[in-house]
Amino acid sequence: MTVAGYEMKLERRVTLAGWQAALIALLAIGVALAAFSVLFILAGASPLTAYREIFRYAFFNRYGSLLTLNRFIFLALATFAFVIPFRAGLWNIGMTGQMYVGALAAFGVLYAFGGKQPGSANLNPYVVIPLMVIAAAVGGAITGAVAGFLKGKWDVNEIVVTMMLNFMAFWLVSHMIKEGGPFMNPGGRGESFEVPPSVRGPLIGNVPFTIVFALGLALLLEWLFAKTKLGYQIRAYGHSPKAARYAGIVPERISILVFVVGGAIAGLAGYHYFAAVPGVYKISRDYAYFGDLAFYGIICGLIARGNAIAALPVALLFGGLSIGGRFVQGKLGLGFGIDYALLGVLMITLVAFQFFYRYRFAWNRSE
Amino acid sequence: MGQFIARSLEAATIFTFAGLGELINQRSGILNVGIEGIMLFGATLGFIVTKTTESYLLGFLAALVVGALLGLLHGFFSITLGVDQVVSGMGVWILGFGLTTYIGSPYTGPLGLERIDTIFGVSPFFYMAVILVLLTWFVLFKTNVGLKVRSVGENPSVAEVSGIRVTRIRYACTTIGGMLAGFAGAVYALFYNPVWNYNFLMGWGFIALALVFFSMWNPLLLSGGALLFGLLWQLSLNPELFLPGIFSRYIWRMVPFAITIVVLVLISTKWFRLRWGAAKPEALGQPYYKD
Repeated sequence: MTVAGYEMKLERRVTLAGWQAALIALLAIGVALAAFSVLFILAGASPLTAYREIFRYAFFNRYGSLLTLNRFIFLALATFAFVIPFRAGLWNIGMTGQMYVGALAAFGVLYAFGGKQPGSANLNPYVVIPLMVIAAAVGGAITGAVAGFLKGKWDVNEIVVTMMLNFMAFWLVSHMIKEGGPFMNPGGRGESFEVPPSVRGPLIGNVPFTIVFALGLALLLEWLFAKTKLGYQIRAYGHSPKAARYAGIVPERISILVFVVGGAIAGLAGYHYFAAVPGVYKISRDYAYFGDLAFYGIICGLIARGNAIAALPVALLFGGLSIGGRFVQGKLGLGFGIDYALLGVLMITLVAFQFFYRYRFAWNRSE
Repeated sequence: MGQFIARSLEAATIFTFAGLGELINQRSGILNVGIEGIMLFGATLGFIVTKTTESYLLGFLAALVVGALLGLLHGFFSITLGVDQVVSGMGVWILGFGLTTYIGSPYTGPLGLERIDTIFGVSPFFYMAVILVLLTWFVLFKTNVGLKVRSVGENPSVAEVSGIRVTRIRYACTTIGGMLAGFAGAVYALFYNPVWNYNFLMGWGFIALALVFFSMWNPLLLSGGALLFGLLWQLSLNPELFLPGIFSRYIWRMVPFAITIVVLVLISTKWFRLRWGAAKPEALGQPYYKD
């Protein structure tokens, strides 16, 4: 194609610098938001008003920005759970199930300490809270380990296995909190009993302490992948499992390891939302919504190209968009599920933009 | 009991349509992990069209069209743009899951039309599925077109050299695969369970995907697997028919998924691999660049 004396050609990229990847990501998000305007227009709302309301509520409103931060923590953890296996070339789309089991394990600790009884106000937070956090991580890790073990040992497709585990965990939660399940709320409302006030996740300022996990893990993972032998092994395995074997890397071990660590982090995400976010403090009836949100982790992870630090601003943006989306949905009288639709549009745009990670447009003066 | 078996056959029909679509996809070397998304789209649009026009025919047509378009989209990403096929399939799934939640929510609730008539106790779709299984088997293994599809899935470069249009065949297969997945979704939403609710499929598409691995890419084995899982699915919905009082109904819902994992593990063992390895399309999941 020739434009104004310049010839445009597609060229295969040889290298991709960090700033180039970031530019493509920004462009993809921009295009997705522009495409998404169509839905606002179809619903009879001005896209400019809608986006202004979304951003104003999500990032500048006192109440909304706290919700955004809560969701940011959740999305960041879900993203890490996806990213660690992703660096090893494996697909963990089981963050949802790992997070459910993590949440159940944390509530299991409460249950064991008698937290279900209404008069259990004086549980020792210094004992119970750490145990809940550990249990959540272990629960998630075990769920993840199933997929990692099967993948490593017999090369069982991890996408299908993690997805099956998601559905199993979904029904397991229903079993535990509904129709006479052990964690059922004494009021019998189809949700779990509440976390007693004394052992609710402490707040730093107004933000759940789990933000420390989100920020700390980002640094830790960056260090792991950039500086350590293990991180190198994971990346090498991700590039070529066969070559990694010649380099003395045991594939089974890598596969199990990345899924255990990823699962543990997803378990923490479950702890975060159901036991540390103000206003929730129970496995709510709409727990499937939080499970669905975990799929944002896939998009954040893909946009950040597996980089945990780069995932943080993306998670913050998407957290804000989903919170703000819910807000304008009510305010502008839009249909239910704006945040779901956004998830879909972002994802498919991002897929299309994968192309530009491999190709670029080159402009040459035509002869 | 008769009712139970009929329902199982209907469930098997849906697995068969979706699985056949995926099988045709994979035979041409394209993996589509997003069939659940295509099914959701077919189901939702089919449901909306039928509900507004009161015409089943238009609903099924809408499902076929949207399925074909999504299959084409996956083809465009994975064939023309050379995007990782898993990434693209994930995209299709999440697009379907996200967008149908929004599009369909005003239509939440029952369809409110008279059920499609049955023939000898089962829906016409069952007979369509039987014919389609035989037809697919015949075309894939007994005709020239089938040979072309399979050779494209085995080794696209060699196929290209021998004069086969790889890109065209792959596009045709992803489009047909998408149509069948869309149709499967519509059978679910317009006949099997005509009540719309967000993300109502809850894993049908992913089980269909697993069934294709399990079938060794043979339509006849696929239909056998679909029958088994149709039965299992129905059993998990009505455990009281056979084993009353054991476990809560939620625990039973976990069973088909657990069995899917077990089956996947079994077919991944060495004994099975010796046979399976030969059947697997060699170029499955790998992008093909014509140089």
